Amino acid sequence: MAHQAHAYHMVDPSPWPLTGAVAALLMTSGLAIWMHFHTTTLMSLGLVLLLLTMYQWWRDIIREGTFQGHHTPPVQKGLRYGMILFITSEVFFFLGFFWAFYHSSLAPTPELGGCWPPTGITTLNPFEVPLLNTAVLLASGVTVTWAHHSIMEGQRKQAIQSLTLTILLGFYFTALQAMEYYEAPFTIADGVYGSTFFVATGFHGLHVIIGSTFLAICLLRQAQYHFTSDHHFGFEAAAWYWHFVDVVWLFLYISIYWWGS
Amino acid sequence: QLHQFRCPCQMARRSICSSARRQVENKVPQKQKVFQEDNGMPVHLKGGSSDALLYRATMALTVLGVGFTLYELVKASFPQKKD
Repeated sequence: MAHQAHAYHMVDPSPWPLTGAVAALLMTSGLAIWMHFHTTTLMSLGLVLLLLTMYQWWRDIIREGTFQGHHTPPVQKGLRYGMILFITSEVFFFLGFFWAFYHSSLAPTPELGGCWPPTGITTLNPFEVPLLNTAVLLASGVTVTWAHHSIMEGQRKQAIQSLTLTILLGFYFTALQAMEYYEAPFTIADGVYGSTFFVATGFHGLHVIIGSTFLAICLLRQAQYHFTSDHHFGFEAAAWYWHFVDVVWLFLYISIYWWGS
Repeated sequence: QLHQFRCPCQMARRSICSSARRQVENKVPQKQKVFQEDNGMPVHLKGGSSDALLYRATMALTVLGVGFTLYELVKASFPQKKD
């Protein structure tokens, strides 16, 4: 049997990059077909393919790391760089929407009444549900750190409890925000105020859902003894992502909800 | 043989009798054995027949999807008949 004389990971050939690329093709073409012909079949097919790809690709990474031992220190370092670069790209993604918000709100046009918030817009009170949402996410930042320390100290039950609490707080935020969306006195169609508000907070909400899902996977893995006290990078990646989501919310709260009201 | 007189649930390797609640058993060593077996299988198929089933279903959707996309895009490229 051939053995490698280096600490790096030469992955087995995998079909998931291809199926993922096809999923992207189907979703984008499907979006265009939906807009012109009102059928969602192609786009839905693409979504199913995307979910299948994500499930199998990440399942394989868990097999390679936890079951095959391929995630040596240099490999883990590469994974860390990768996650950091990905989160950085997401920072730039949100930066664009903040740019759009400040572009319109720092110099409001005569069409808006020359003021911000624009004439006719009833903003949400930043000290009601938005403030609660801030507290919920900040608390979840504390609980995820508690979970990390529990994992590092080998405290299995505490890790499960604190990770569960973090996920529940994430769900609570999502539920509160959904309620706010429903009750809001303005919509996405209400000029540039509505556009910037719902696109920025909407993408943030999507990232909360993604982050909660990532943490939920970590909870399942923690329960199944995948993490050890000094090797649990999947959890660390989820925790970094969660802190990023929290920080984006703080910027949203200060800029759009508070200064912008 | 002496092992016959041990607690039957320990024999069956399920959760420890002393705990009232259902406990998750550490199956990582078993998984490590399965995925480190020298059988030449790539990681995406190494888990067994359910891997192959899921792979085939995904690939079928992939091929069908490409075909369907090309069909829809070609159809959309031609003027639509108006009644």
